[in-house]
Amino acid sequence: MIRRRDLLVGGAGALALAGAGLRPARAADEVVVGVLYAMSGASAQVGVDARHAIETALDIVNADHALDLPLAKGTGLPGLGGAKIRLVFADHQADPQKGRAEAERLITQDKVAALVGCYQSAVSNTVSATAERYGVPFVCADSSSPSLHRRNLKFFFRPAAHDEMFSAAMFDFLDAQRAKGQTIGSVALFFEDTIYGVDSANVQRKLAGERGYKVVADIKYKTNSPSLTAEVQQLKTANADVLLPTSYTTDAILLTKTMAELGYKPKSMLAQAAGFAEKVTYDTVGDKLQGLISRGSFSLDLAAKRPSVGAVNALYKARAARDLNDNSSRQFMALLVLADAVNRAGSTDGQKIRAALSATDIPGAQTIMPWKRVAFGPDGQNTEADPVLLQWVGDKFVTVFPDSAAVAPALWPMKA
Amino acid sequence: MTTQALAQVLASGLLMGLIYALIAVGLSLIFGLMDVVNFAHGEFLMIAMYATFGLVLATQLDPVVLMPLVAALLFALGGASYLGVVRFAMRAKANQGMVQIFATFGLAILLQGVAQYLFTPDYRNVQNTWLGGRTLEVGGVFLPWPQIFGAVVSLAAFGGLHLLMSRTDFGRALEATREDQGAVALVGIDRNRVFALGWGLGAALVGLAGAVLAVFYYIHPQVGASFALIAYVTVALGGFGSVAGALVAGVIVGLVEAFTAVILPPALKSVGVYALYLAVVFVRPQGLFGRL
Repeated sequence: MIRRRDLLVGGAGALALAGAGLRPARAADEVVVGVLYAMSGASAQVGVDARHAIETALDIVNADHALDLPLAKGTGLPGLGGAKIRLVFADHQADPQKGRAEAERLITQDKVAALVGCYQSAVSNTVSATAERYGVPFVCADSSSPSLHRRNLKFFFRPAAHDEMFSAAMFDFLDAQRAKGQTIGSVALFFEDTIYGVDSANVQRKLAGERGYKVVADIKYKTNSPSLTAEVQQLKTANADVLLPTSYTTDAILLTKTMAELGYKPKSMLAQAAGFAEKVTYDTVGDKLQGLISRGSFSLDLAAKRPSVGAVNALYKARAARDLNDNSSRQFMALLVLADAVNRAGSTDGQKIRAALSATDIPGAQTIMPWKRVAFGPDGQNTEADPVLLQWVGDKFVTVFPDSAAVAPALWPMKA
Repeated sequence: MTTQALAQVLASGLLMGLIYALIAVGLSLIFGLMDVVNFAHGEFLMIAMYATFGLVLATQLDPVVLMPLVAALLFALGGASYLGVVRFAMRAKANQGMVQIFATFGLAILLQGVAQYLFTPDYRNVQNTWLGGRTLEVGGVFLPWPQIFGAVVSLAAFGGLHLLMSRTDFGRALEATREDQGAVALVGIDRNRVFALGWGLGAALVGLAGAVLAVFYYIHPQVGASFALIAYVTVALGGFGSVAGALVAGVIVGLVEAFTAVILPPALKSVGVYALYLAVVFVRPQGLFGRL
C-alpha cells in the first residue's frame, strides 16, 4: 500500500533532483549579482523602474554596444574570460527586516558575488550590515542617507552623492540667490519619519544654522499618512521663504494636494528629490509644482555634456516606457560601476571585488551623470559625485545649478 | 495658536472624520450582522478608487455622477466575496473565527496583488473633476470642496442607512438575522441571502467612500492599508456593529488626529487616537455605542 506520506517524501525527493538538474551551472561563465528593491508595497513602482534600469545596464555589459561606458563594447566581462552577469532580484517590500532576510538568502543560497540596492535608506542600512558580515560587496545605488557610509563598513560602496552633499548644494544655491539680491531669511523643514527624512533634516537644520537661515518650521510627519492637513496648516502659518520637503512619492503627492486645498502657496520649494524626482508626482500634481527645485543626480538635459545619456535613455525607455530619472539613472550606474570592478578583479571572490571597487577610477565622461569621476574614499563614498539642482519648468526638469552644469538660470521665487 | 488656525484644525478634523466614518461604517455593518471582521475592507476601498478612476477614463463623466455606479459595482464585489469566500470560511467546524480572519486577510492580499498586476504600482490621480482642487474660504478657514462633498455624502449615507434599517423589510431582516441567525430560518428568511446582501451593502458604502476619496487622494494598490487601520479603530471605538457608533467615532478620530498633530510632533499624530481608544477600553471595552 502506498501511503500519502511516502508519496510526499518521494515527491519532494524527485523535486529536489529535478531542481538540481535545472540549476544553471555555476562556473566562471557567469557572475551572479543580487538586486534588492521593493517590488510590492507603496514604493513598488521605484522597484519596477529599478529593475528596468539595472537590466538596461546588464544589457550594456553582456551585449555589444558602441557607447563610451565601462564594458559597453564587446560582450560580457573580458577579465573573466567573457563571463556574463546574471541578476537575481529580491523584493524587500521597503521593510528593513525583510531586506536583511533577503540579503542573507541571496548570499547563502544564490551565492551572489555582490549586492545592489535598495532605495530606502533604512533598508540599505540592514542589507549593507548583512553583506559586511558575509564579506560580500554592497553597491548602494540610490540611498542617500549620510549615516550609511559612516559605519566603518569595508564592503559598502556608494557611487552617488549623499544627503549632506545634496543639502550643501541646496544651501550653496540659496547663498548664490542671496548674493544675487534675493531676500531669503527663513526655511521650513518638512520630512518623513524614517532614516531618510530624519538624516536629511538633521543636515539641513545644521546647515541653516551655520549659514544664517532661520528655521521657522521643523515638522517630522508620519510617512503614508491618510491626511497631512494639520501638518500643512503649520507650514502655512510659518510661511517660510523656502520650504524644504524630504518625502517619498505618496507623501509628495498628498503634500502638494493638501497645500493647494488649504490655499498655501509656498514662496519657493527646494526638495530632497525622492518623491519629487518621480515623474508620476508631476503627472498627478505637476501644475502645482511649477518652479519647484529638486536636488538631483541626473537630468536628461545632461545629454549636451554626457554623450551616452540619449542612447542609454532610449534603451531604458524601450523597457520601462518612461524616461530615466534621478533614481533610475543611479540604479543604472550602480551595476556598471560594480561590473567594472568585477571585471578588473577577474574573480567572483568578495575580497578581490572589494579591492577592485576601492581602486575604481571611472572618468565622469564615461558615466551618464554630472559626476567628475567615480573614485571611492576609504569609507566607500564617491567624493566626486557632484550633485545638481533641477527646476520643474513646463513639463520637464531643467538643470539650474551649479553654473558649470546649468542649462538655464533658476526662476526664483517659484511660480506655481 | 490663533482662533483662525484653531477653526481650521477643527474644520479639517471634522471633514476628515466624517469621511473616516463613511469608510468605517461598512466594516461595522458586516461585523454587526455576522461577527466577521472583514480584513479586506481597505482593499474594497482601493478597488472602489480604481473603479472610479477607470470609469472616469472610460466615460469622461465626473466622479460625482459615477458614484452610484461605483457603489453598485462594490455591492457586487461585496456579495461575491461573501458567496465565494466567507460563506465557506463560516463552515469551519473548529476555530471558525480564525478561519474567517485568515480568509478575509487572504482576500486582501489577493486583491492587492491583482491590483498591482493589472494596474501597475504607479500612482493614479483623477484629473479635471468638478470638485478637484476647489476650495471654499470662510474667514480665512479653507474647506476643500471634495472633502465638503465627502462629508455631505457621508451624512446622507448614514441617514439613508438609518431609514433602510428601520423602515424596510430588508432592514428588519438584517436586524432579525443579527439578533438570532437560527430563529430567522424558521420564519423563512434565507440566512445566506441576507448575509450576501449585508456584505453587498457594506461594500457599497465603502464604494461611496472610495469614489469620494478618488477625487482628492492618490490611487495605488496599497492605498487601502492606511485607511483600513483607521477604519478598524473607528469601529472598535464606536462599538462593534454599531452604525451610530461608527459615525460618532469617525468624527472623534478625525478631530483627535487633527488636534494631536498640533500638540505633539505630527509624526505621532495617530498616538492620540490609539491612546483615546485604550482609555475607552478601560471604561467601556465594548466601545462607545457597543452592546454588551
